[in-house]
This record gives sequence, structure tokens and C-alpha cells, in this order.
Amino acid sequence: MATREAGKKMIMLKSPDGMEFEVEEAVAMESQTIRKMIEDDCADTAILIPNINSKILSRVIEYCNKHVPTTGATGAAASDTVAPAALAEDLKIWDAEFIKVNRATRFNLIQAASYLNIKGLLDLTSQTTIDTISDNSLEEIRSFLSTKNDYLPEEEQTIRRENQWAFQ
Amino acid sequence: MAADAAAAGPRRWRCEEEEQQPHRLSAAAAADDRFDGLPDPLLLLIFNRIGDVKALGRCALVSRRFRALVPLVDSVLVRVDCVIPDDPASSGSPSSSAPSFPTATASARARGVFSQIARMLIGGIVKPIQALGQILSHAGSASASLSSFRRSASSSLSSSSASAPPGDVSHHSPSEVLRSFKELRSLRIELPAGELGMDDGVLLKWKADFGSTLGSCVILGAASASATKDGTTAAPPPAAADCAESDDSGSIPESFYTNGGLKLRVLWTISSLIAASARHYLLQPIIADHALLESLDLTDADGQGVLTMDKWQLQELRVRPVSASGDSHRTLMPALSMRLWYAPHIELPGGTVLNGATLVAIKPSEEAMMDAVGNATAGSAGGSWVSDAFEEPYRTAVGVLLKRRMYSLEMNSF
Repeated sequence: MATREAGKKMIMLKSPDGMEFEVEEAVAMESQTIRKMIEDDCADTAILIPNINSKILSRVIEYCNKHVPTTGATGAAASDTVAPAALAEDLKIWDAEFIKVNRATRFNLIQAASYLNIKGLLDLTSQTTIDTISDNSLEEIRSFLSTKNDYLPEEEQTIRRENQWAFQ
Repeated sequence: MAADAAAAGPRRWRCEEEEQQPHRLSAAAAADDRFDGLPDPLLLLIFNRIGDVKALGRCALVSRRFRALVPLVDSVLVRVDCVIPDDPASSGSPSSSAPSFPTATASARARGVFSQIARMLIGGIVKPIQALGQILSHAGSASASLSSFRRSASSSLSSSSASAPPGDVSHHSPSEVLRSFKELRSLRIELPAGELGMDDGVLLKWKADFGSTLGSCVILGAASASATKDGTTAAPPPAAADCAESDDSGSIPESFYTNGGLKLRVLWTISSLIAASARHYLLQPIIADHALLESLDLTDADGQGVLTMDKWQLQELRVRPVSASGDSHRTLMPALSMRLWYAPHIELPGGTVLNGATLVAIKPSEEAMMDAVGNATAGSAGGSWVSDAFEEPYRTAVGVLLKRRMYSLEMNSF
């Protein structure tokens, strides 16, 4: 069971809700957190991923599968026939599809990407929120992020004056 | 193949509660739907990626929690909104601390090269009021500019806008805007434009790093840079005559010395160094305010000049304070050792053509002498700080220039 394909080491990832995912070591190592565990020999048979439910973990694995650098027999063939630029374009389109999820899933993915330390996934998942905060009015930010305004009106006025430079 | 299989989903489902799974997840999802549900470190991680200081300033007004987290952000970009001409009174008498190289003639030309440089502002409409952030102050010519830098210190980067008339649009210095950010490690300030007003078609880029004073500076200039060989360019500048005398030896053509080509290069070099040293001088209050700072860049939207300071250089400045050049508000340049390369004509990837391309690499003479001990050959004298100074396609231009004959110049401290 440990090796599905000759030369490809497999790693078992367990979610706290009791599911197991068998993935190639190279795919798992897209996560710097898991990479460190593997390199430190803490990943004998299975790695428990705390706080990331199976639904989110499966999506993270999907992402890593797509983004793992293509090496080995099948991978080499793919990169021979496809120009790097076209490959990057393909990835971009794939990413855009991947991130078409509801807000809750996106926030969960941000948390997972942060814990697992997968930079590309973190960039992808946090960009929407960053854009929301960067490009919108206060009311819009509150509504997009479902955040309640807990300031007293006069308090808000004071801070608005202090931060006047941000509104010009 | 294995990749496809894994992408399809979980391999083995050893979950007894499988049936209840979708239910539970959707219940959890409802609670997770709020950004507020994310833990502080994650919110901070997102805030750290916003960069723009104005977006962060607005962000603080969203809620109390946001306001508590924003000052913990460690990476910020400040885009300076406008730079307005300095008070005309400042363009007065030329400084006594004029540099000790051929400015007698260069200063006349500098009038055209320098634009009106002045105050750096964050805020909307331009109205000259007191208490403005002012990063560069500049008058008419190279030598006069040295004197006008003097004036800028009083308000410099640390000024406050408290005295702005009510109802008026107030202006704010970067220092003031950044005051609440106590954890700042990485800061980039972007000016709306480069300080050096260049004629159409002329290319001038510089990159300088500083500690207490100049560490190194690389300047790439071209008398004309055009999109394609037959592209419609502005009338060729006078120095374009350089390229008529193409020559494969890598030497500078004789005409370079007589047609003003060399003089123009010297002017570019001095102008760039003055702009860099003025930028550096005015960063001091910000560096003093932010003890944790590890990376500081001062750039401009034109991509003309880049000033960088890394962790060790910032540390050096804290230990060894900046010396001003005379009584001006510019960091004193040490005696400099310069190397110059010239190519009449370079074609870059992407089709840009540089005519009269010139590369100047500058280090303090002391350091350059120590380097020379290790690098006897002209080829290695460049080093990666020169070849890596600019992004493509200019990196290619630097590579081409470094292969040509190298000329050395020395410049006194100024």
C-alpha cells in the first residue's frame, strides 16, 4: 500500500473528521509544513492534519496536485509538448476556476493554506479579501466581510479624523 | 496518472459518520462565513498583504478588532500622492558646497535635466500650506539644488498636519501616516514621479543602496530609447550622434568627448547621485521612528530611481548617524570610484533600442580599492550588484555593456 507506483512514495494525510487521503510525497511536500515533517522524519505512515476538515483538505490536495512541479515519466512528457508560458496560462485558468467557491470555503482554505504553509494557495485564496479591503468603501467592506461596526458614532468620527489621510 | 487519481478525491473513506458529513459541514460553514470568524494571526496575515497604507487606514475603521490589528501590520507601501513645487524663495543663492567636479558648465545644462522638485504629500488637492511632508526640495540647477535641500529639513518627513485650516484638505507626511505602525519591518515609499525631468526619449535609471552613506550606485542611461528601430521617436537628442560611430572594440568613440556626450553622462551621474542622497537624507526620521525596520525602499512610479536599505544598512545608520553634505539636506557622498561602460547601440529583447547607452557603477573609493585587490581583471570588476541592478530588459543592456571596455573615474566627496 505504501507505494502505488514504482518510484513514487506515498504519504497518508488524515483529517480530524477521520478521513484519510493518500497522496504522493511530492504533492504533500507542496506544503512547507508537511515538507518539514517529512524531512524531520516525523511522517512515518500517516500525518494528522488538525483543524482542517476533509472537505477542505481534499480541495487543498487537489490544488497541490495541480501545482506540483511536473517531474518523472508522465510529467516530463507533458512539459515537453507544452510551452512553459502555455502551462502557466493553463494554471491561471485552473486557479480561477478553483477559487470559485463560497466565502466560508474560501476562509477555510485561507486557514488551511496558512497552517500548511502553501504560498501559492495562500496568495490565491487571500487575494479576493485583499481586493475587497483595498478597493471598497467602509460600508462595502463591512457588508462583504459580514463584519459588524461596533464603534459608537462619535468614536468612529474621532478615528475618521485621525485617519483622515486614508480617505483622501 | 497518479496525479489524476489523487485529484479525483479521497482514496479511502474510513469515516463512520459519512452520511452526516455534508450536514455538519454546512452548519460549520454558516458560522465560518464571517471574516470575523478567522483568528487574529490570520487576519493579520491578510492585512500584511494589503500593503497600501491608505487601505489599511480605512480598514481600521471597519471595527474595533480591525483597529487593534492594523497597527501590528509589518509590511506597508506608502504611495505619495503629489509633489508640489517648493516655495520659490528657496531657489535663492547657490550653495557654497558645490561639488568639486565640472559643474561650472554642467549646472547650466542641469536646469533642463532637473524638474521642479518639492514636497511629498499624502492627501488630495494641492494647496501650499505649512506642515507638509517634504522629501525633496529643489531649485533651478544642480548647484542651486544643493542649497535648497537645506530648507526642507524643518518640515521634512516628520511634520504634522495639525495646523491645517479646518475644512481644508489636509496634507500628511509619510512619517505621520506611519506613526501608529509600531511593528513595521518592511516599508516601501513610492514617489509619484522621478525627480529628474528628462527629455523625451532619454532613458535614465538608477539604483542605489545606502547605510550611513552610499554603499553603491548603478546608473543606466541612454541618449535615446525607442520601441523599435523604425519606430516613431521624438527628434533625436544631440548625443544621438554617438551612435554614428559604431565600433566593435568597445571603446568610446572620439566624438564622445567633443560633442557633449561625456558631459551629458557626467551630468546624469551627478544628478542621480544628488537625487539619491537627498532621498536618503530625508528617510532618517522614519528610520528613527521604526526600530524594527529591516527593509526600506524609496522608489518612484516612473521607475527612475530605486533607493534601498537592508537590515544591516539600517542598523549601520542607527549606530553611525548620517553626515550632511555641507549645510545642505543631503547625505554627504564619500569620495567615489566610478566605472563607466559605453555602447553606441544596443538592441534589447522586446524590441527596444538604446542609443548611446551608458552604464556607470559607483562605489566609495575606499571599498573599491579593497575590491580591486580581489578582482584584478576588468571583467570581474562589475560584480552581481551591477549585473543584477535592473530588471529585464535593462538587465540585458547591462550585460552587454559590461562586456565592453571599462573606463575609470574618481570623484571627490560632495
